[in-house]
Amino acid sequence: MDIDDILREVDPSSSGLPSETRDLQSLTRVWVAERSTPELLSWPTDGLVERVNGRIASQIERVEALTGDMDPRSNFALIVIQTELERYKFLVRSYLRARLAKVDRHALHYLSTPDLRARLSPTELAYATRHQALLHNHYLASFLGSFGPTLQNLNDTAGNITMIDTPDLENAVFIRLLRDGRVMGKGVDADGDVEGRTGDIIILRWADAKPLVDTETAELV
Amino acid sequence: MALPLPQGLVPTEVAFLCEMEMVTIVPRQRLESIPLLSGDTPALRPPHRAQMPLWLALLLKKQRRANIVPPAWLHPASLADIIHHETNVDPQAFSPPPPPPTRADGRGRARPFQDNIRSSREQPKPGDDPRLAPPFLPSPPAGYLPYHWLELAETLLAHAADDVPAAAEVRSLLRDLQEVRAAKMRGSTQSLEGGGGVVVLRGVGAMELAESRAFVLGVVDGVRKLGASAEATRREEEAIGGGGRYGGGAGGRGGNFEDSDEEMEF
Repeated sequence: MDIDDILREVDPSSSGLPSETRDLQSLTRVWVAERSTPELLSWPTDGLVERVNGRIASQIERVEALTGDMDPRSNFALIVIQTELERYKFLVRSYLRARLAKVDRHALHYLSTPDLRARLSPTELAYATRHQALLHNHYLASFLGSFGPTLQNLNDTAGNITMIDTPDLENAVFIRLLRDGRVMGKGVDADGDVEGRTGDIIILRWADAKPLVDTETAELV
Repeated sequence: MALPLPQGLVPTEVAFLCEMEMVTIVPRQRLESIPLLSGDTPALRPPHRAQMPLWLALLLKKQRRANIVPPAWLHPASLADIIHHETNVDPQAFSPPPPPPTRADGRGRARPFQDNIRSSREQPKPGDDPRLAPPFLPSPPAGYLPYHWLELAETLLAHAADDVPAAAEVRSLLRDLQEVRAAKMRGSTQSLEGGGGVVVLRGVGAMELAESRAFVLGVVDGVRKLGASAEATRREEEAIGGGGRYGGGAGGRGGNFEDSDEEMEF
């Protein structure tokens, strides 16, 4: 907690959210979003995960210090701290694993353009590159090696047919509107156009929902 | 290592989210503030009420260190009102979601909970607080269901039934409410078939979504794949300027099937 948080707390005209609470909200939101979308979302640029990881590490240190003294009063505090720690660790782990599942499934796709590469964190990028190299080497050794050199690529785009498997961006998602606004979505028989109010839950295609989520007009649920 | 779960939150994950809902407790013991990752807990001084997340409240309840104050909407009268609304006032839609929460501004007026982020401002700035959404919103007033109503009510009745007044009545009212809303949820699949693009489920609950998520997403994606060629044709026609809606409004569903037949003939 820094001086800004203290000032915000005593000022009744502000929302009064300490930075820890804000981080929990952001982490929860990125986790839900990552779990709900068909494609990989951008790695949070404001250092959210790094910050949360730092806090978890220092909290673990505190637990280690507290387990030393046998005071029964600090005992209960310890239980609470550890319970919360486990909840936090679950959130972070589930978030990273959800991303990893998407990277695994479409590794070549996320490595193909600089824009897509920018969505990965440095460690994820290293992982995806290595994963793909290992896979390619394995394929080469087991069967690709016996083909002609023109047939050995895994990312061939000849004849307007790309070999790279991409996530289906038209998959349906659920969103909740965070402010009033117009929601447009493509449909089979007709394109939908709805005047949405704050709190509405809407089903539409991810490709249509993405601009709303990016501008924080809506969040995934 | 990668997560094997399907896209979208599963019910256990929704239950996890629900445990972050804020509830009010009446402590029975003094307890100093505990430094947690999500901020310090309030220092507990009986009989002063305090707000805390559900998981912590349940922990305190189990250790008999606190009683949970049931939220206003869980009162039998409030639930009966909601059921009345769901069955008689508006038998088609879900009851409306709670109004945006308000807070006192220290000058004797009520203001929106997060009025530092106005809806008039189109683009939020990077330094802004994120706009709050469940499970981080305060409990709604009586007569409105929060987003996590079913899980929250179930948890409170399972672990703190002695704190809920008229628990048996509340239980049977909840069951009625759940049945009414489940029927509506099933009915809403009618609009999914139409292929209109946007389906609004105003006031639906988290667990109701999680229960039917796989089915709903399957239907929407299935309709999209079946009608992919029809949609492409319609878009081409619209691009040319024909303007006609392919398949027509009411006959939309029939149009779909005809198109899949055509495809097979090719």
